[in-house]
Amino acid sequence: MYCPATMLPVSAVCGGIYRAATRALRTRKIHQCCHLSSGDGVLQAGLADADTIFALSSGHGRCGVAVVRISGPAATTALRSMVGLRKHLPPPRTAMLRSITDPYSKEILDRGLVLWFPAPHSFTGEDSAEFHIHGGPAVITAVLQALGSVPGMRPAEAGEFTRRAFHAGKLDLTEVEGLGDLIHAETEAQRRQALRQMSGDLACLYQNWSHRLKRCLAHVEAFIDFSEDELIEEGVLEQVDISVHDLQAEIGQHLKDERRGERLRSGVHVVIAGATNAGKSSLLNTLCQRPAAIVSPIAGTTRDVVETALDIGGFPVLLSDTAGLRESPDLVEQEGVRRARERVQQADLTLLVVDSTLLPSEEHQASALLLNHLRSVLSSQENTETGRCLLVLNKTDLLPEAQREKLNRGLRGVSGLPPVCLISCQTNEGLKDFLTLLQSSIKSMCGDPLSGAPTLTQARHRAHLQQCVAALAQYGRYRDTDLALAAEGIRLALTGLGRITGRVGAEEILDIIFKDFCIGK
Amino acid sequence: MPHMLTRKLSPVQSIWFLVTKRASHVSRQLYDVIVVGGGHAGTEAAAAAARAGAETLLVTQKIQTIGALSCNPSLGGVGKGHLVKEIDALDGLCGRAGDWAGIHFSILNRRKGPAVWGPRAQLDRQRYREFIQAELLSTPRLTVLEGSVEELLVTDPNPEEPGVHSVTGIRLANSSHPISASSVILTTGTFLSGSLFMGQTTSPGGRIGDAPSSSGLSQTLRERLGLRVGRLRTGTPPRILKDSVDLSLAKLHPPDSNPTPFSFMNTHTRCKPEEQLPCYLTYTTPGVERVVRESLHLNCHIQQDTKGPRYCPSIESKVLRFPGRSHQVWLEPEGVNSDLLYPQGLSMTMPPDVQLRLIREIPAMHRAEIHTPGYGVQYDYVCPTQLSPALQVKNTQGLFLAGQINGTTGYEEAAAQGLWAGLNAARWALSLPLVGLSRTESYIGVLIDDLVSRGVKEPYRMFTSRAEFRTSLRPDNADLRLTMKGYELGCVSSVRHNEAVRVKRGLQDAISSLQALTMSTTRWRRMLPGISVSESKNSSLSGMDLLQYKDVSFEMLASVFPENLSEYMEFSERLKIEAVYKPHCDQSKREIERIQKEENMTLPQNIDYFTLPVSLSQEVREILDRFRPSTLGAATRLEGMTPAALVTLFNYVQFTGKEARTTNRKQTDHEEDLCTRNASLPQ
Repeated sequence: MYCPATMLPVSAVCGGIYRAATRALRTRKIHQCCHLSSGDGVLQAGLADADTIFALSSGHGRCGVAVVRISGPAATTALRSMVGLRKHLPPPRTAMLRSITDPYSKEILDRGLVLWFPAPHSFTGEDSAEFHIHGGPAVITAVLQALGSVPGMRPAEAGEFTRRAFHAGKLDLTEVEGLGDLIHAETEAQRRQALRQMSGDLACLYQNWSHRLKRCLAHVEAFIDFSEDELIEEGVLEQVDISVHDLQAEIGQHLKDERRGERLRSGVHVVIAGATNAGKSSLLNTLCQRPAAIVSPIAGTTRDVVETALDIGGFPVLLSDTAGLRESPDLVEQEGVRRARERVQQADLTLLVVDSTLLPSEEHQASALLLNHLRSVLSSQENTETGRCLLVLNKTDLLPEAQREKLNRGLRGVSGLPPVCLISCQTNEGLKDFLTLLQSSIKSMCGDPLSGAPTLTQARHRAHLQQCVAALAQYGRYRDTDLALAAEGIRLALTGLGRITGRVGAEEILDIIFKDFCIGK
Repeated sequence: MPHMLTRKLSPVQSIWFLVTKRASHVSRQLYDVIVVGGGHAGTEAAAAAARAGAETLLVTQKIQTIGALSCNPSLGGVGKGHLVKEIDALDGLCGRAGDWAGIHFSILNRRKGPAVWGPRAQLDRQRYREFIQAELLSTPRLTVLEGSVEELLVTDPNPEEPGVHSVTGIRLANSSHPISASSVILTTGTFLSGSLFMGQTTSPGGRIGDAPSSSGLSQTLRERLGLRVGRLRTGTPPRILKDSVDLSLAKLHPPDSNPTPFSFMNTHTRCKPEEQLPCYLTYTTPGVERVVRESLHLNCHIQQDTKGPRYCPSIESKVLRFPGRSHQVWLEPEGVNSDLLYPQGLSMTMPPDVQLRLIREIPAMHRAEIHTPGYGVQYDYVCPTQLSPALQVKNTQGLFLAGQINGTTGYEEAAAQGLWAGLNAARWALSLPLVGLSRTESYIGVLIDDLVSRGVKEPYRMFTSRAEFRTSLRPDNADLRLTMKGYELGCVSSVRHNEAVRVKRGLQDAISSLQALTMSTTRWRRMLPGISVSESKNSSLSGMDLLQYKDVSFEMLASVFPENLSEYMEFSERLKIEAVYKPHCDQSKREIERIQKEENMTLPQNIDYFTLPVSLSQEVREILDRFRPSTLGAATRLEGMTPAALVTLFNYVQFTGKEARTTNRKQTDHEEDLCTRNASLPQ
């Protein structure tokens, strides 16, 4: 079922896809709630219950070719909307070279092999598809995020493909001897490893939530099973109300961590923006130490987004060069400028490049001009936070020494201005300082994985936590009318969290009940 | 609608008839099913076996105690009421007996949502016994015999199936002749090596006033069949003379003004609304705690290390575990003509003089007199992981166990197992495949699955929190979930089946009519002013959607569309519940299907997990050997199982032992069939 809201042309290029994906998820959630209250009854199952799963089936890390596997009824939707097979599905089990596009923006993400395995002749016994794409992290992330935005699709649980294959009776004895160990590694070890890898803090945080949720559930269950003819203290439910509310807020806050942990895993989006001919493409080439973008003295050379993946100080970075911002009668260039602006809006960090030779020599005038320029480029409020931007004054090799010094001193610490770097892409002057600054900005954005507030590291965890928050809302919705349905909300929330921290059984809940209450009968 | 209440035999006649059947007058020496024990499990087992077509013999020590309520004079409650409804849906006795004997009806949790409503009743002990005894008497193919079972007769293990015995019958005390049967159901309650405790005295027995049962039975189970047994304890409070209690010092607790019957076959209870008796609520005082502490050295039951229930603790354990609190004491009537009160919450095992001192610390009972003192019981139970989901002992063909012998507590839990064991014992005797109930379709399924796949560490009581699919397993829809299935399996009469079919069709038609009434929100608001359907929605709603709203009732809709809906007025409450829960049930359907799939993959019971030539860790092998799960579903719920081990197991089953699988397959197909039928309830 398509939600009209998700069909909005969110014309995102790579960097925007994550946002498109979350937006789609979010609207889908809302959509679901509408159904609940309108009583349509055609409930879309929550994330974890959605039917079609996808995952990167080849190993993590850089590799030549990556295989993304999709299984479930929406596999056909994915094929139709992402590889341009509107009318006909490809012949079964035959590799086809296709462009893989974002389902909403139609942006080409990669070109690769597409394979279609209709049920029941697939590994899982369900409709399945495979995308064999290039192995770079940017491409993989983009394809996975695009898949996540297809309605009915969700990231697979550890070992879930095998589990489905197992249910479909697809595994045969010769396969299984080896598979047993494989799945073992895929699930048990992976879960333990994932929990261990989650910095100790994160594991603690999730365990803490799980513990509190268990208590909430135990207390509601006690109230249901024992309150009327046995002695359950008044005010038990009121305490649960408070706890559930707190948990909702805390998990919600955690989800709004601005993707720091995921950034660490999948890359910080850094966008180079500025007026035409400021030297943006030169900066890109300088940073990636290869001529990734065409550089020329002609204004408007770059018309589309040029993207490259980098490692800066150990952090993965997805760097995009954009078209110079200017009014242009050229339709192609107009589109390029529109994309550039959109990129800037979606960027984690914007490098605003300015031709320093065009600045007034007087520093106050210069800073006023820069502030103005900054506002016009970073139109969205969010990005005007100076932490999200660096000012790069390029072409310093063309400035007299005195002017350079003047700017260097005069533009520091001006309120409203982000950190300023004077560099020359021609002579590499100032590049070292710039890199240090860039690195520290990125580092603060990813968070130090070794300390500080725990951050989300996996999209899968995010999905389960979102499910958890949504389920907790069910508690509030039914608290006063139907406690069984309210408790169901906490049960679902605990199931969602349990997929990260481990399962919770009825006995465990009963243990808490008997520890906390004197059940009198 | 049939009124079962009207066609009852007079109690005098029934008891006279039953008493005439003494051990010496046994008419035959060969039965399909023998049931040992006449408590809640035994009576349901005997009745179910006979309903399912088996020639059945019920052996009990004393015919007058058949259907006796040994402990509390009440039935149902939260979770337990669910069981009563399900037993009734399978045509068992206790729901109708409750409607006959109830003297105080109430639905607990009325404000917490229909999925957790707890139908409950205080019972008249006398009337309950009368009903059960009369019912058993009028059951065709059922013979009742007074006697004590001396020995359970089993064969030596079959050389082709090492370790597997078969039951052949029983031998009574004072009789050299065995009575043969294909199936035997043991429902010995607390009598298996039972001992009674009061103060410092201990005596053998399972219930005060009854002779202890023979040690022969216990010996056969342990030594001959090698079954693992454990020991549990329970207790009962003293009975108080009503006249000696100052009820003005307790809080009056009236029943529901309009009693709701347990049974789907009854429209009303025997007791008229105005004839119902109240209960009274009072509390313990610091004096009670003092008496408990002072008398601990005189109390050997409480000093023993045997596991008692955490949810039905004696006053001693309550005081010791939660000191400094006051605990509830319910004063419950024992019957219309009884001069006794049952002090719920005051189960105790101290010497009688201390018991008197203790109860007199409670203001309402400051001059109370004790009729019968409270006492404790310790008894053996057979670790239920040694049973199959049909409640058959895995290593003894034809031997079934039900009730407290499996480690449960409570009348309803016992009755539920009794019914299921009775049905399966009959099916075994009649060479029909044994059947299980899924935890996705019933509380009985949850109960049995918990018992046989996880075992017990303390007396097991049902709670709604044990059921994963609580929103689907409601008391209101037990008939839709189970009656058709029970009819297929042979334990439901055609009268009840027809009634369930009628109700199901009525509900389906009503839901179709409601769904057909689809119109815009604006129009609904015009027709039903005052409903809180939000204006902003311009979508159209069906009558079924509208019924989900808190302030919309079926009666309201029927008053606007009498021509479409008025004929369904008898279902108005059920329709409202269906409407509210439907979205949630739909949501859990997928998970239910997954579990059912796993439950339909049976694991052969004769696997030697230690030598199985597949890759399993020693730890997993030990777990599997200890619990011997019957299905893959049960295996997934074992603690310590790994997905890898499950895959290995699955494939082992898939590719070996084809013969065993063919028979299993038949059974599974049958069950699947029924599940599908079950799943197509009113949508």
